Amino acid sequence: MSVFLSAHRDQNEASYHYTEQPKRIVSLAPNITEILFELGLEKQIVAVARDSDYPLEAETKKKVGTFWQPNVEAVLALKPDLVITLAFEQQRAAAETLRRLGYPVLTLNIKRISDLYEAIEKIGYATGTEDKASELMQQIRTELDEYNSTYSGRKKIKILWVIQNEPLRAAGRNTFLNEMIELAGGENVIGSTLQQYPAISSEELYACGAEIIIHSAMGKRDISEQQSEVERFWSTMLHLPAVKNKDIYVLDSNALLRLGPRIAEGVGEISGILHKSKRTKKESSG
Amino acid sequence: MNFIMWILTSRRLILVILLCFLILLLVMVVCACCGTQDISLSRVFEGPSKLPGENVDYEIFMGIRLPRVVLAALVGAALASSGVVLQAILRNPLADPYILGISSGAGLGVIIAFLSGLSFNLLAGSPVAVFAFGGSLFTVWLVWLIGYFAGRLNVTSLLLAGVVVNAFFSAVIMFLTSIARSEQLRATVYWLMGSITEKPASVLGFSGVGIVGGIVILFIISNKLNAISVGENEAKSVGVDPVSIKLAAFSLTAFITAIAVSLSGLIGFVGLVVPHGVRVVLGPDHRTLVPVSAIVGAIFLVSADTLSRTVFGQEQLPVGVITAMAGGPFFLFLLAKYCKGISWLK
Repeated sequence: MSVFLSAHRDQNEASYHYTEQPKRIVSLAPNITEILFELGLEKQIVAVARDSDYPLEAETKKKVGTFWQPNVEAVLALKPDLVITLAFEQQRAAAETLRRLGYPVLTLNIKRISDLYEAIEKIGYATGTEDKASELMQQIRTELDEYNSTYSGRKKIKILWVIQNEPLRAAGRNTFLNEMIELAGGENVIGSTLQQYPAISSEELYACGAEIIIHSAMGKRDISEQQSEVERFWSTMLHLPAVKNKDIYVLDSNALLRLGPRIAEGVGEISGILHKSKRTKKESSG
Repeated sequence: MNFIMWILTSRRLILVILLCFLILLLVMVVCACCGTQDISLSRVFEGPSKLPGENVDYEIFMGIRLPRVVLAALVGAALASSGVVLQAILRNPLADPYILGISSGAGLGVIIAFLSGLSFNLLAGSPVAVFAFGGSLFTVWLVWLIGYFAGRLNVTSLLLAGVVVNAFFSAVIMFLTSIARSEQLRATVYWLMGSITEKPASVLGFSGVGIVGGIVILFIISNKLNAISVGENEAKSVGVDPVSIKLAAFSLTAFITAIAVSLSGLIGFVGLVVPHGVRVVLGPDHRTLVPVSAIVGAIFLVSADTLSRTVFGQEQLPVGVITAMAGGPFFLFLLAKYCKGISWLK
């Protein structure tokens, strides 16, 4: 009920000048763009944030600045009848200005997987694509449930997910990466921390007992180069199962770092690493 | 004879101020016409339309560019005039508006606002702006009190108190950011970098009255600042009470800087370079320095902000990058051109 109420309020907010469906939508975040495409709104999208790189058709759309710095002038010049933003400090000023000028703005807060469902529902509500939205939600839910039921009984595999090398920061419990790890049958070696992405000391790393180490790729540099760099970094901690079995991976996939409709694809990628690794082979053969 | 001299100099002063003000208006109009979108001024003059989207040119000009240009002018004027006055009362060429703890105080206020997650509107100001304003004033007065008890407002004890309070509060900020959730941390860091964004007319109105009022009063006491900048004993000998003038100048600069910081975060370089630039060209008389620095500061920040939002097309640069990269070399140029006679090896 509360979901319905908040969706309803946003619907009013999103369409208070327009009684019909929005025809000129601007998306200021890559995961919003992905949702819009999934809802079949490709023709209605007039512009996206430059970071929108998926699906490929998104690259042909007009760009209105970046996710970090949307260009409000460029948004206005397109006369949008719906602008969708994320509840981030960097987008707050842009959303405020657009609202002040009377443009319909839908602001979404997407931090956990449950927020993703809510966001899809709200976008569906605001764009008159409720049916497609509930279909998409159902599809994601089914796919994720499948992973959940496959791995729920099994022994959890310990994962360390490094998001930044120097100083080393890892994904903590209060992140959607943690949710993805757990759905894929893993367990985060980082316990509960104050920060979402805490800095981890070498001592802590030494004792973490990670069976798999995943590094998010840094920038656009060559992955194999990054892979060898990362392996060199860990080479002193041979007692860690992940290092001993060479289960260290550098992942460069935007499905993994973006809380959008491809979340199940990302979970699949992680579970692929977890369950096809050398360690599992060794276990099954020995 | 003295009276005639006074009339002559004040006429010259009024002329200089008027000229600078006209240049400021011109720069503001030109900058409001620049942007990533091409807009036609005739469409702007047609006025607002009933529905959003019918006259986009008007919306871009009045809703985005004009508020931004006005904000940049107000902040630039506040920072530059505070810089002049603090350099005078601290008798230190390195003084800038943030030297007495305002930067860390504002930062502390902002992170507390983010951490508390409050949301309210006080005189159209958001919690972040209100806390930044409160934090700035709190630290500045703390520094003043410490300086007062440490050495009867001796300049050195005031400066030292400022440095220590700044360092201490910076440590508190770092402590809070290291235990904060990363989202709030990012918001704080982003805020501290400083930026000029569009603000509602009510915010611009309130802060405009505060800043312009503050600068006008500083201008009125500028003659006494001349006496203080020479030395306290000299000031006393011409009948100026250094403590009360310092207190007045100090509270006014704290007030207008706190407003500027609450509007735009910490924008460096304006408060340091503009006063020195103006001083090098027009001489050390504060009756000229205060108003002209304020106007030149406004021109400088309006131009810097326009560059920051246009030079790379849609990508905006932090305005602090422009103020430092344009201000530094320009200042060195002024220094070389006007101070050739100065020997560095006396």
